[in-house]
Amino acid sequence: MNEADIDADTNDRMLLQRMAAGDRVALATLYHSYHGRLCRFLSRLTRRADVIEEVINDCLWIAWQKAGDFRGDSRVSTWIMGIAYRCGLKALRQRGDEPVEDDNIPEDRMPSIHPDEDRELRDWLSKGLDRLTADQRVVVELVYGVGHTLEDVATIMGCPVGTVKARLFHARVKLRNVLPALAGDSITLKEKVP
Amino acid sequence: MTLPMDTSQDCLRAWEAMPWVLQESATPEQSEWLKGHLAHCESCRAEFEQQNRLRLAMSLPTDVRVDAHAGLQHLMNRIDAAEHDASPYRVRAGNWLARGLVAAVLIQAIGIGVLGAKLYSYGEKPVYRTLSQQAAPVGPGAIRVVPDANMTLTDWNAVLHTLHLQVVAGPNDVGAYTVALVNNTANTQQAVQQLRATRGIRLAEPIASTP
Repeated sequence: MNEADIDADTNDRMLLQRMAAGDRVALATLYHSYHGRLCRFLSRLTRRADVIEEVINDCLWIAWQKAGDFRGDSRVSTWIMGIAYRCGLKALRQRGDEPVEDDNIPEDRMPSIHPDEDRELRDWLSKGLDRLTADQRVVVELVYGVGHTLEDVATIMGCPVGTVKARLFHARVKLRNVLPALAGDSITLKEKVP
Repeated sequence: MTLPMDTSQDCLRAWEAMPWVLQESATPEQSEWLKGHLAHCESCRAEFEQQNRLRLAMSLPTDVRVDAHAGLQHLMNRIDAAEHDASPYRVRAGNWLARGLVAAVLIQAIGIGVLGAKLYSYGEKPVYRTLSQQAAPVGPGAIRVVPDANMTLTDWNAVLHTLHLQVVAGPNDVGAYTVALVNNTANTQQAVQQLRATRGIRLAEPIASTP
């Protein structure tokens, strides 16, 4: 955990303390702080905006109610992402939905300084993510998108570190074989679990 | 399913280290080692570049649009609704508290009333007199007289009869009587003089002249 992560976690802990005292401004600050990463994280499970909003609100509703119970055994972000993961799976179960595949990306994109580059990158990524299972997409998101460690991801997903390592390994192998290589000749080997 | 590189120990080690070096959670030694390995391993270099591109792609904002402000408003409404649902219990609890306090005040008021009525029933006049209170009023021309302790009742009555006096109060704790002329037209001062001259009278003085 680098200094920026430590500062962010300290700030999050202060927000949780204020939330435990009923401070709604702190809740609003935390909400906006996590909204982007939760949206992206949950979009690996479902493409439905209404479900994503519902899961985010379920997640932060629990954070609001349980803020006083947070003991600091993990980073606040790990705690919140774990809640979001469980809420996401629960929401999908209640709807009888399977985690949707990445096959319905809308045409309108988020504004960007380089929209063409972003679109190209998204298309490239979507081809790879299509080949992954939901659990593999979640692991890739948490490691590459959010920047969590293996231990954090294990806490979030409620499984052993070895399981996370295996999911990450298989996901990387699939992505490497599906995505076009940027440079050089790829030498292919049979996949094997580390 | 295939791996992109040779299975040399160094390439496997590089493969393991790539995600953590990219997210800057690897140790400085691990980062330095990978940098050195990439300098001479083209396959791992290509893999690392692709891993970096993957990280960039994963860090892009999602293309699923979710309105944060509207979502937050929904959450606040949900909290309001939950607190509103919980509030009747608080009001009921508050009512019980208020009712208890009112009952306690009423019991105290009733107790004070009963005690006050009981004290009032002991009599309107107190059995004591304070120094600031005025003595019982006496009529004009009254005389305070202290007869000798050895004076007989017959002699005392004879004095009163002779001087046309009657006892209006007394005797008090020190044996003093308050007497007044039977006939108000008579001279009080003269009666005082006669009393003082009478044998067996230790003190005689008009009350009006008392400071």
